[in-house]
Amino acid sequence: MIVAFMGQEFKINLWLGCLGAFMISIVSSMFGFGGGPFMVPLLTVGLGLPMYLVVGSSLLAIAFNTVMGSVRHFQFGNFDLVFFLIMFPAAILGGYIGPKIAKRISPLWVKRAAVLGLLLLAGNLLGVY
Amino acid sequence: MKKTCLGLLIVLAAMWLSAQVANVSAQAPPPRGDTDQAAAQTQLPALSLDKTSLQNGGVITVTGQAEPGKPVYLELWSEQQVRASRFDSDPDKQTGKRPYILYMTNNLPAVYRIIVPAGFADVLDAVKKEGGKWSYSKALSDLGADEAYSVPGRSAIDRYQATFLGGIVGSRGDKLAAMDDQENRQRSMQLIKVRFRSPGKLFEPVLAVAPDGTFTAKVKLGEGLAPGAYHIRAVSGKNAASAPASFENTISFPIIYLSNAGTSLNLFYPFLLCLGISIFGVLMGAGGGFLLNPILLSIWPLPHTVVAGTVMPTVLFSQASGIYNYSKIKFINWKLGLSLGAAALFGGFIGPKMTELITLDQYKFVFGWILVILALLMFWQTTPGYLAKNKKEQAVLKECKLRAQQAAKAKVEPACDPKAKE
Repeated sequence: MIVAFMGQEFKINLWLGCLGAFMISIVSSMFGFGGGPFMVPLLTVGLGLPMYLVVGSSLLAIAFNTVMGSVRHFQFGNFDLVFFLIMFPAAILGGYIGPKIAKRISPLWVKRAAVLGLLLLAGNLLGVY
Repeated sequence: MKKTCLGLLIVLAAMWLSAQVANVSAQAPPPRGDTDQAAAQTQLPALSLDKTSLQNGGVITVTGQAEPGKPVYLELWSEQQVRASRFDSDPDKQTGKRPYILYMTNNLPAVYRIIVPAGFADVLDAVKKEGGKWSYSKALSDLGADEAYSVPGRSAIDRYQATFLGGIVGSRGDKLAAMDDQENRQRSMQLIKVRFRSPGKLFEPVLAVAPDGTFTAKVKLGEGLAPGAYHIRAVSGKNAASAPASFENTISFPIIYLSNAGTSLNLFYPFLLCLGISIFGVLMGAGGGFLLNPILLSIWPLPHTVVAGTVMPTVLFSQASGIYNYSKIKFINWKLGLSLGAAALFGGFIGPKMTELITLDQYKFVFGWILVILALLMFWQTTPGYLAKNKKEQAVLKECKLRAQQAAKAKVEPACDPKAKE
């Protein structure tokens, strides 16, 4: 498929993209996280698209997964309204405060901290300690 | 005519009365040695509580009287109910075939416990040592508490025959015929284990029974349990159970009860946690769910299905506003986004079905490895080679976004050629 974006054209393997998006969205809706961090490398590294094309389009693809996943979780009775009403405002507030802080701190150090935090959490889940 | 009827009635009444008298006289002189036993056959345990209400948990003292010399157990349950499901894919012991049946109920007590005599503390410790593979039904019989287990056994359990194709189309499968009471009871024990997980939550060895049959127990109800009515009954052998005594557990703001999760919690904690993590999520460029879900599961006794199903929609707003902002400046390629979105739609349809087929342990295990992969991905993004490339990419992104904004203002088609800039 040929993708035209801002006056440029890119040739991509749509089958690979769709297969990847399908797998990522199964796992992400099954475990209840956003698939962004996997979807972006899929499109940049896997399909060779530039970042400026990927940011918006991957968000759109992920949103489809989030909407469908949420509806299905609701259908299966996995949704707790009160719990949602506690966390939803916090998530919105966080999305508002986050970018303001992001300008002031080094993304490199955030990433390093994230690596450490993720490994600690993974160790906990896998029963390493 | 009337007189005949009346006469007949009197005769009947007299016959009935004499039969009663004969009955009584037959029982009247009981054999001496059996007096106690005869009396005890009709003596059911009785119990009373020292309080009628608790404020978000506490200790309640149960005292009572049962037949001397017989073991006594207390069954405690909450009126508030929760859901539990279990996917049975263990091979059958005889045929080796995997049944793939999903058992599901909405009627388990949100809190359930059997208080066993203090003498069983070692047996309970042995059960705890078995680790995750412990069996609730075996623990019940080891502790001699089979007779005490009754309330969850009557929960209505539905079962569905899962199929591979059903899983793909996201259906639970065909609903099978209802089980008989005996099997329902057996399956309810498995669901109890799925729901409460640890033996420590299901058994409490604090019952002191005196030789004369009086018993007393200080039952501790932890914080964060379901509000509402609780019932306790004493069981001493088959068909010898007391009438339940009841008390109320009340919770007040800011502690609230999550009915689907079956847990009470202080609402400020998940709020602050979610706030902190979503801020960090923005900074690290990954949604909060990666961190939020495991942390929620490790802090509160929430079912993983509820965590996954409730955290997922919290990002809907930020995604919608992101899409709106990008689309205003035509920074989204709809053809690409919608094509991938169609694939994601199918994935999102299947995934939530699979959440209920896995156990909490499997959820944690897979999630752990996903986090390892994510950590490697993040680590790769901190390597010098990636940073150099990313710096260029980000500059292009900024430049192109700026042009898109200008084009949107000028109402012309946006154009951006990164090579032209180099």
